[in-house]
Amino acid sequence: MNQYASLLIALPLFSAFFIPILKRISKNAVMPFLAFVTLIQTGIAALVFKEVYTTGKPIIVMAGGFRPPVGINLYIGHFAALFVLVIAVASFLMAIFSIKAVSVEPKDKYAMLFLLLMLGATGMISTGDIFNLFVFMEITAISAYALTAYNKTGEASEAALKYVVLGGVGSSFFLVGIALIYGSLGTLNMAHIAQLAGLINPTAAKVGLALLIFGLAVEAEQFPLNAWAPDAYQEAPHPVTAMFSAFVVKASLYAIGRILYILSAAEGWSSILRLLIILGTLTVILGEMSALRQTNVKRMFAYSSIAQVGLIAIGLALGTANGVSASVFHMFNHAIVKALMFLTVGYVAVELGGAEMDKFEGLGKRMPVTAFAITIGAISIIGVPLFNIFWSKIQLILAALNAQYTWVVALILGASLVEATYYIRLIHTIWFKGEGEKVKENSVLALVILLLVALIIVIGIYPEPFWNVMQKAGNDIFNVAQYVKNVPLMGVNP
Amino acid sequence: MNPYYFASIALILIGFYAVLAKRNVIKMLVGLSIMETGVNLLLISVGYVSGKSAPILSEGITPDKAVDPIPQALVLTAIVIGVATTALALSVVINLYEKYKTLNVEEIRRLRG
Repeated sequence: MNQYASLLIALPLFSAFFIPILKRISKNAVMPFLAFVTLIQTGIAALVFKEVYTTGKPIIVMAGGFRPPVGINLYIGHFAALFVLVIAVASFLMAIFSIKAVSVEPKDKYAMLFLLLMLGATGMISTGDIFNLFVFMEITAISAYALTAYNKTGEASEAALKYVVLGGVGSSFFLVGIALIYGSLGTLNMAHIAQLAGLINPTAAKVGLALLIFGLAVEAEQFPLNAWAPDAYQEAPHPVTAMFSAFVVKASLYAIGRILYILSAAEGWSSILRLLIILGTLTVILGEMSALRQTNVKRMFAYSSIAQVGLIAIGLALGTANGVSASVFHMFNHAIVKALMFLTVGYVAVELGGAEMDKFEGLGKRMPVTAFAITIGAISIIGVPLFNIFWSKIQLILAALNAQYTWVVALILGASLVEATYYIRLIHTIWFKGEGEKVKENSVLALVILLLVALIIVIGIYPEPFWNVMQKAGNDIFNVAQYVKNVPLMGVNP
Repeated sequence: MNPYYFASIALILIGFYAVLAKRNVIKMLVGLSIMETGVNLLLISVGYVSGKSAPILSEGITPDKAVDPIPQALVLTAIVIGVATTALALSVVINLYEKYKTLNVEEIRRLRG
């Protein structure tokens, strides 16, 4: 079997525990070690990705050799293989960025929490067990709380406190949801739940699903529970902000999608879809409206990120294969673009001391490469043709039309219009206002930035191969019958 | 209605009320802990089978005479997670008090918009 895929979990965990020992040997080795570990993780993830996409079969890792549903299994299908790679690559790039951007001590604890955040997100995406999902979600959440408070300013503590309280309430809800589903079906394995979903008590299914979705909505930044997000994004260290936006949110969104579709045979399922569509719509509207009046650029990007996440949630809740694939495509594109945006804004904030709008005046002359990258990213988010997000927005619109949700089209177009307003305002500030001396840009970071820009443009020009991958990944979530067939369930019957 | 379910859901609601209505940050965290306790109690009562004993196999206790052991493993994990969250939140509150000199959530409002 391909049990080496379990290294995706084991390597970050082992390395995180190794860091306190390493710190005693040499303090300066901690940050390079972080970059090295994330590089190895990227290598393993790339191997897993190649294997899953060449054989077309998921890699199933069984913990301790117990077959599911008795043991816990990891399910690395098309979706998980893709996003494990995205997580690893984003972590690697942010580990490089951390060397420059994080100067507050203690760096060893930063590196540990960084690895645990990566571990938690990887686990959330690859697990096949609903309680294991909760545990990985809490690993992600607790490292995220600690990383938000890492700068030790009053504002950072305030942001972290909001996050902890909301996250604590959310995880309690999630656990109640698990209790309801376990009480009704007597199993925690996702494939087994999907197999038995038709038998579940309709009330338990509805309430349980709603509670699970509310619990995950904290991490996934859906409307009533996302008040922590802009504060945390603004106050967290810059690389961490990029990680939140690039994959922590995506892992929770994926978990929402997975849990939603494994229970699709349950009675009253479509009312939960409507609930998620309403939440997503409110998220988009409020996110875009709040982004419009921000003066801090990092906070503006945070609201913009929330709005995009709302679009992804709507796509997941359309209930069709195309909708799910389109939102997976949007997740992938958004991960690239927002990693780029938060990296560049963080870099500007490190060099010029702050992310307020006036720091960006004359940036085109002071830091040309960074300014160019922000411009490309902004144009891409608005959805201009020949850039990647155009294609995923188009796919979302097509999927919404197919699912008879015509007003979603108006929502997406309206959101793009609002995005155009504030991003073009930012581009105008960067290129046509103010003067300044040239700042020497770090060549490694410039290389990373240009790499991401190149990726945006390549996907924009050749969307087809990427869209094929996304359709496979989306099918992994949508096609529950295939998912159940892939997991070697022991012959346990209700 | 089963009194265990009633009591645990009541605990969850009391904790939720405290989180929503209290102004003092410490009281909010107490509410959060009460909520977590309620959830753990609910999880345990889901696995309870009336009249059976603890799932430790010893003399006279066979698997068919024990309550469901799975929720106990889940609760053990959830308790640890709850304690970790509380500890982290309390350390954040200490730092917050040093910087703001107050624990009233209505005065801790430098981040807005």
